[in-house]
Amino acid sequence: MKDKFSTYSQAELTRRSLMQGMSAVAGLAALGGAAGRAAAQDMPLVKAYGVPTAALKDWAPMEKSIGVRCELSGASNDVGVFMRDVMGANMGDSVDLFIFESGTEDILGPQGLYAPLDEKHPELTLWERTSDDWKRSAVVQDTEGNQWGVPVIGNADSFGYFPEKLGLAPDSEEELSWSLMFEDENTRGRVAYGNAYTYSMGPAALYLQAKGAAQIGNVADMTPEEAKVVADFLIERKKAGQFRTLYGAFEEQIQLLTNKEVDVINCWEPAVREANLVLGPDATRYAYTKEGYFKWGHGAYIAAQAVDRGNLDAIYKVLNYFLGGEYRALQARDRGYAGPNMDLGVEYAEANGWTAEEIAALKATEAKVNKKFAKPYVSTTTPNNASAMEEEWQRFLNA
Amino acid sequence: MQQSVGAAGRAGVLSGVIRRLATMKVAVWLIVLAWFVLVIVPIIVLFAFSFFTTEQFRTVYTPTTTTWVELFSSGRWEVTLRTLRIAMTVTLIELAVGFPFALWLAKGRVGKVGRAVCLAMLTIPFFLDVSSRTIVWRAILGQSGLVNTVLMGLGLTDAPLDWLLYSEVAVLFGMVVTLFPPMVMPIYLAISLIDDTLLEASNDLGASPWQTLSRVIIPLSLPGVMAGIVFCLGPALAAWVEPGMLGGGFVNLISNSIESAYSALRYPVVAALSAFVILLLLLMLGAMYLIARRFGDPASLFRVLRG
Repeated sequence: MKDKFSTYSQAELTRRSLMQGMSAVAGLAALGGAAGRAAAQDMPLVKAYGVPTAALKDWAPMEKSIGVRCELSGASNDVGVFMRDVMGANMGDSVDLFIFESGTEDILGPQGLYAPLDEKHPELTLWERTSDDWKRSAVVQDTEGNQWGVPVIGNADSFGYFPEKLGLAPDSEEELSWSLMFEDENTRGRVAYGNAYTYSMGPAALYLQAKGAAQIGNVADMTPEEAKVVADFLIERKKAGQFRTLYGAFEEQIQLLTNKEVDVINCWEPAVREANLVLGPDATRYAYTKEGYFKWGHGAYIAAQAVDRGNLDAIYKVLNYFLGGEYRALQARDRGYAGPNMDLGVEYAEANGWTAEEIAALKATEAKVNKKFAKPYVSTTTPNNASAMEEEWQRFLNA
Repeated sequence: MQQSVGAAGRAGVLSGVIRRLATMKVAVWLIVLAWFVLVIVPIIVLFAFSFFTTEQFRTVYTPTTTTWVELFSSGRWEVTLRTLRIAMTVTLIELAVGFPFALWLAKGRVGKVGRAVCLAMLTIPFFLDVSSRTIVWRAILGQSGLVNTVLMGLGLTDAPLDWLLYSEVAVLFGMVVTLFPPMVMPIYLAISLIDDTLLEASNDLGASPWQTLSRVIIPLSLPGVMAGIVFCLGPALAAWVEPGMLGGGFVNLISNSIESAYSALRYPVVAALSAFVILLLLLMLGAMYLIARRFGDPASLFRVLRG
């Protein structure tokens, strides 16, 4: 055990660290073949630092399409670590692009560590057609509405469940209530709940607000009083035995589902997919909810120092690529994550001879995203009240 | 009694070395300085940080006791007590199980092959990642795991036992398994260093097996026992994998609490929690020192290592 955080990254196969390995593989693949390497060496290089979910399994298609190489070094998905790297270690001196979950731009943008996005840059050709749902979202704008980045990917997280155990049809698209997580007698003792306040506190607040049990101004950024109400509710539910376990990692989500240790779990969508690979199609489902979702997104932001480094055109080419159909289609197929301009993804797949099944899946993703993104709430990794929320969450964990 | 055996000559050599070192005042001061810079300064910085606050992920360098007040008012400090309680329980269990095992391994009727196999089995875990060793237990202790399946198959229980996993019992179990080698190895080494002739002499002089154990083996193995306690208690206090994987979030220990504060970049909380643990550790070390003194000069504990 080198230190607890290195253990963390080994033990906790998070959404992003899972992908870290993949990006390493992608790096090797990009270097594969002497000819390919020689060609790639001549291309302009964009260095990125961030969560590896944004990485393609193989960057070669991008190099072929836009003639720019991208080297992404994987960051931890821990916002504290990421902020320290950007603020403390001046990573902008060597890195062109930062890619992270929503929230960092609220702080690093106004502090001058991110460069404002030039929406009129000639290489950013797809900006105009990108929907406001994505480009004007809190993921890439700060609270004042300044534009700091380009949306890369995102999803609306809910909970996975076993339809059979809840008496639902396996193909049901019915909108379920988060009460299945928190209050339903039928699920008591059969629920797994994520143990990080950043991921799990919001849905509980959303649920309390929807049922009228609490008045909460901003679910993503609760005041100390609001956080206390949510923590009190959760403590009461914990003592009532609602939760079978409070899990900590992506790999645990998969295990809890595949072992059938729980019936309901607030988790990432890929966990449900992984579980179904073992248990069979539709054994578990990812819920459509009545109250809303933990909507998250990753943005790509330009390091302030990169503006004068002379590769700004290449940087904007990469940003534009993130908005394009090829990236969209590949990300959706390989990771199952959605993003802006899903329709371009479908077009790309059709033009490039993807199978009917793959195209149908892309269309389904587009429809799903449209259905889910209409509901509240957009999460942030940097709430102003982070301290109070974390403190209340500890009270829940210690209860 | 053991002190006299062959110690006089070596003590002479050692005191010679010490005398020479004492004259080299520069070396001593350098060591003290290095120790101060590398150990004491970080602790002072840590302690100082606990009097700042964080706002918007930035540390505000205005001295305040807010963090400490919150630590106690929110009940967060309880994690330190819980951690201490669990760590000490684990250490006691390890000692109770590990000492007889080490004694048997070092002085019992174990063949060469048997001993080699045992030592190999104790060593192998050091090369395996704790998390991968721990996660296996989830499949064994879970509701549809091996143990529950067997118990229900035999008709011993009607419903799966819930407390086997995601409970304090599970965490204790996981930690006992993980920390067994660090406890056993130093005790085994200390006991195997005890000269067999001492045991024979004790026997010849009419001591009962119990007297030989309590008056010869235990005092001579104390350095190993102390090392075992330190090697066990330290990691147990910092335990992270077992509470996370087997506690199911219901056994919140100091590492988990610190990590959570760290994820919100609350360095002052991290600092206060760490400082509080250091304080508790100092108290415990003080207690250990007092206990050790009952067996004579604490420094003499390590005399056997020269033997």
